[in-house]
Amino acid sequence: MENKSILHLDLDTFFVSVERLKNDDFIGKPILIGGVSDRGVVASCSYEARAFGISSAMPMRMARQLCPEAIVIRGDMESYSYYSKLVTEIIRSQVPLFEKSSIDEFYVDLSGMDKYFGCYKWATELRQQVTKETGLPLSFGLSINKTVSKIATGQAKPNGKLYINQGEEKSFLSPLSIRKIPMVGQNTYQLLRSMGVAKIKTLQAIQAELMERVLGKVGVVIWQKANGIDHSPVEPYYERKSISTERTFDQDTIDLHKLNAILVHMTEELTHKLRKTEKVCGCIAVKIRYTNFDTHTKQLAIPYTSADHQLIPVAKRLLQQVFQRRLRIRLIGVRLSKLVQGTHQIHLFDDQENMLKLYQAMDHLKQKFGTQSVVRAASLGMRFRDFNPFKGDLSE
Amino acid sequence: MKFIVSSSALLKRLSQVSGVIATNPMVPILENFLFEIIDGELKITASDLHISMSTSIDVESKENGNIAVPAKILLDTLKNLPEQPVTFSIDENTFGIEISADAGKYKLSGESAADFPKLPVIDNEESINMSSDILATAISNTLIAVSNDDIRPAMTGVYVKFTGEHTLFVSTDGHRLVKYVREDIQVDTESSIIIPKKALQLLKSSLPSENSNVIVNYNTAHVHFSFGSISLICRLIDERFPDYSNVIPQDNTNKVGISREALLSSLKRSAIYANKTTHQVRFQIIGSEIQISAEDIDFSNEAVEQLQCEHDGSDIEIGFNARFLIEMLNNITSDNITLTLSEPNRAGLIYPQDLGESEDLLLLVMPVMLSNPVAATPN
Repeated sequence: MENKSILHLDLDTFFVSVERLKNDDFIGKPILIGGVSDRGVVASCSYEARAFGISSAMPMRMARQLCPEAIVIRGDMESYSYYSKLVTEIIRSQVPLFEKSSIDEFYVDLSGMDKYFGCYKWATELRQQVTKETGLPLSFGLSINKTVSKIATGQAKPNGKLYINQGEEKSFLSPLSIRKIPMVGQNTYQLLRSMGVAKIKTLQAIQAELMERVLGKVGVVIWQKANGIDHSPVEPYYERKSISTERTFDQDTIDLHKLNAILVHMTEELTHKLRKTEKVCGCIAVKIRYTNFDTHTKQLAIPYTSADHQLIPVAKRLLQQVFQRRLRIRLIGVRLSKLVQGTHQIHLFDDQENMLKLYQAMDHLKQKFGTQSVVRAASLGMRFRDFNPFKGDLSE
Repeated sequence: MKFIVSSSALLKRLSQVSGVIATNPMVPILENFLFEIIDGELKITASDLHISMSTSIDVESKENGNIAVPAKILLDTLKNLPEQPVTFSIDENTFGIEISADAGKYKLSGESAADFPKLPVIDNEESINMSSDILATAISNTLIAVSNDDIRPAMTGVYVKFTGEHTLFVSTDGHRLVKYVREDIQVDTESSIIIPKKALQLLKSSLPSENSNVIVNYNTAHVHFSFGSISLICRLIDERFPDYSNVIPQDNTNKVGISREALLSSLKRSAIYANKTTHQVRFQIIGSEIQISAEDIDFSNEAVEQLQCEHDGSDIEIGFNARFLIEMLNNITSDNITLTLSEPNRAGLIYPQDLGESEDLLLLVMPVMLSNPVAATPN
């Protein structure tokens, strides 16, 4: 197989950088972006804040204790996606094959370009162009596959670049902490640490079979990544198999009325999204997390639909089935899956004509004035955070 | 008890009624055929509690008696025997059955005939005669639109309404509806029944190929069809059929006349390029041309076809599930059809143009919502 050149681009502290573009005063100061309530988490933080030991995904409350003088910003998804699109357009104009893996991350397949341009030189120029045209700092890593490039980007940050020569992947990875491997989260990390594995070097020396016994299939993938093996291609487009949303409450609740209202609101949001993209779903799931972090999900296969009046009653029924214990709930979520292209098949007896017209009018309003412009009375005031920006940008 | 019968003749009769037997019956006795011998005639009955079907065959036998015989073993045995006389010897105390053929002997254990559910008695019944051809046509016309959704039991059967002027057969699954009218079947007392899908499927496959008379007896709970040696008794669906007559549009002024074959083959080709789950296609009817288009965004598949038609009405754009249309067009025989429409979110109606004198057929299909209809709806 021919050797590949995969470039990973990552905008540095993306949300913070955008805020700094908008307001000069933020430069050089610790900035926290994320939910402002006690339950909120840090979505992004500046390097100045990181010096205090703050990291993203840390509870906001803890972050503020660590650094009381930090400026906390609620975050403005609209301008973030605007800048994300700007960057996407620049990359699109230069590159035939790229993958946008999240709002601020890109993979580019530069295989075969070395002969003509020199990948490293070309990537450096692309990075300069992005910074010049948008004012946003970014880092990149360049190597033979996605995993190594991503880890290299992490090492290059902030505002840096790193090229891993072919054949040096293993030696590049070996001194790093196992936390740097993309798939290693809190739980896996703890497990591996308890096995005495701290550096990737140790992981490289372990046999793949042992990893499989400890972690199953995931273990083998982690082991491959540790050894710089990753054959996954750069995919310009991948099908969304499901859409979902969830909400963590400011305070745990047992108020069924409120839970139902939020459920209605979340389902409404998702069905609108379905109809906007001309899709129908064949499965709906409702998830709750009790105050003790016990998480329960219940799902139901349904005839393909994107209609509120068919999905909302099912969602309510599922909530009733899944909410069995007399415990407070801290999180509720809805997921629509088995998505296929299609529009609502009108039913002879269940669909009234004025109802169908109402949907069309509501979708039209939502498209024009935003998803909050018209909602069911039951879900009024149940505003919630929009989609998780780290799961890729839907709007394209 | 002992009897002798031709293996292939018996197999033929058993196959006529074996379709009733459910794969996982509610009570184990229903995995059996009921054999009853009365004066040299073997009556074979199969049942699933809702439907009981029986037939008979002459056998060589000296005594009367009865037994329940395991259906699967018996069928499998007979299927693998060449044509020959076989002897059944039955021990009525142990319910042991011994089948003797040229090649050898097979022993199996049956069950007491007394455990087999009794056939329901139909009283206060109405009785009419119907030709088997008409019944077969009515069944095959309506069966396609019967619902499989147990949530609405009323729609899992064909609604039959007898009146003084005509007899109506209606089926619907909520997305399609078929209404078949026979003006040559008239009943003095008006009544209506819902016959389950399975009974009609069984009936359709066992109706004789040459036209003959079928006696239909029914009351509020059961219907009984008998023809030749076959008798089928079925429990009716005791539900209210949805108000179908109000949902059939009366004001579809947009009329399209087209060759059934041309439309059908065009749809079959276009559907290949539509999404494999939703099968959605788009009709754009402009002047005397229908443009049928389909696309599957995931695979970048796309098809566009043009068809000539006779069109009387304003231009319209409407979406349909191609599978529904294909099934419906496949199921009728007329060379030409008339498709009538009103608005992109209202039902379309298909009328075959060539029909028999005393029959009338209407097929209704609901559209799918189009997000960006070109032809704006009035008002």
